[in-house]
Amino acid sequence: MEVLGIWVAAFFTLCIYSFLYRDNPFYRFAEHLFVGLSVGYGIVFSIHQGLIPFAWDPFWEAITKREFMGLLKLIPIFIGLLFFARVVPKYSWLIRYPIAILIGIGAGRAIPNVMDARIFRQVYGTLTPFGQIHAGALGFFEIFGAILMLVGVICTLTYFFFSIEHRGAVGGISKVGIIFLMVGFGSAFGNTVMGRVSLLIQRVDFLLSDWLRLI
Amino acid sequence: MRRQVPLILCFLFGIVMMLVEFSPHPISEGLRAEVIKWDLIIGPFALVIGVITLVHTHVIRVKRRVEHWQYSYLVFFGMIVMVAFGLPTGPKNEVFEWLFDNVQVPMEATMFSLLAFFIASASYRAFRARTLEATLLLVAALIVMIGNAPIGDVLWNELSPVGDNIPSTARQWILDNPNLSSRRGIILGVSLGVISQSIRIIFGIERSYLGGGD
Repeated sequence: MEVLGIWVAAFFTLCIYSFLYRDNPFYRFAEHLFVGLSVGYGIVFSIHQGLIPFAWDPFWEAITKREFMGLLKLIPIFIGLLFFARVVPKYSWLIRYPIAILIGIGAGRAIPNVMDARIFRQVYGTLTPFGQIHAGALGFFEIFGAILMLVGVICTLTYFFFSIEHRGAVGGISKVGIIFLMVGFGSAFGNTVMGRVSLLIQRVDFLLSDWLRLI
Repeated sequence: MRRQVPLILCFLFGIVMMLVEFSPHPISEGLRAEVIKWDLIIGPFALVIGVITLVHTHVIRVKRRVEHWQYSYLVFFGMIVMVAFGLPTGPKNEVFEWLFDNVQVPMEATMFSLLAFFIASASYRAFRARTLEATLLLVAALIVMIGNAPIGDVLWNELSPVGDNIPSTARQWILDNPNLSSRRGIILGVSLGVISQSIRIIFGIERSYLGGGD
């Protein structure tokens, strides 16, 4: 089975790489099969890691052990089943109920979590070094880095602040913001390229060593 | 009934979930844990919409005999095979795991690695240093790429008399300082947007998720 697996993986790897020449039947074959397998995988995982442990198991336990609190799981199951209303045009509006609940939960949880993790902690991380500077605990390069960080954050935020026209001092600050953004985008691009190249190396290594046994 | 009840539900669940995050009381923590479980139960049903849309799209392709319609059967085949092996016994099924490890994972990795070629050609067009901004982008990207690859440090140490491992040090400095500061600026801006949008949703000002119609 292991050898067969290597041959199958090599076949599909070459099918996908054939797209570098141009769109062709091998690529389309692999592409469509990939979509089907991924959706099937998603279905199996959602059912086995969401529905069964959180809905079916407590519900079944409630019936067999007569713990009737478990029957409350029927409520979210019923709400979830309303997604199927989409296929009956007359009752398709019922789909708004589960969507509204999911969006409400998401929005409600987002406010405190985003505030904590993405605002307070980021501001804390930006300003903390200044306390250390005051205590004399940082060297020249750390102080320079801390000032650069604060300047970069303020300038980047100013660039995205559209309530004031970007002229004069604000225009100058937002231009400095563009410089920081460009360096940020450049490094993000560099990291992305290296990530993709690493994947390419890994696939070529698989073909040459695992499949062809050349290296 | 058709629009008001969903708006009320969204408001109630939103307000409750926001408030319970701040309260350490056992009842509030229990409520929070229960609603999160509800979220995990209802969420997978949302997949139904995606699957219905995908199946519908491919059924139409087959019915209308559009170009390459034959491949739509492969989508159904892949989906049915994974569900048939994975659903009864779970993701630990041998065939399910074999298909995942030897078909899905290699194809996914290859698809992403394919982007290396397209990124190379895109960067050739994008990286013409015509302006200060484009030059900065080019220089930052080059330093990060050279610093990421071991060969960068090796070549530098062999050829340059100045300093050791300068490319990887420069890369780390860029990532930790100008890159992080711009990312923090973006994160702060996006987060303020997320919070304001969440408030709009909870209070029913933003209701595009209800869709059109009555």
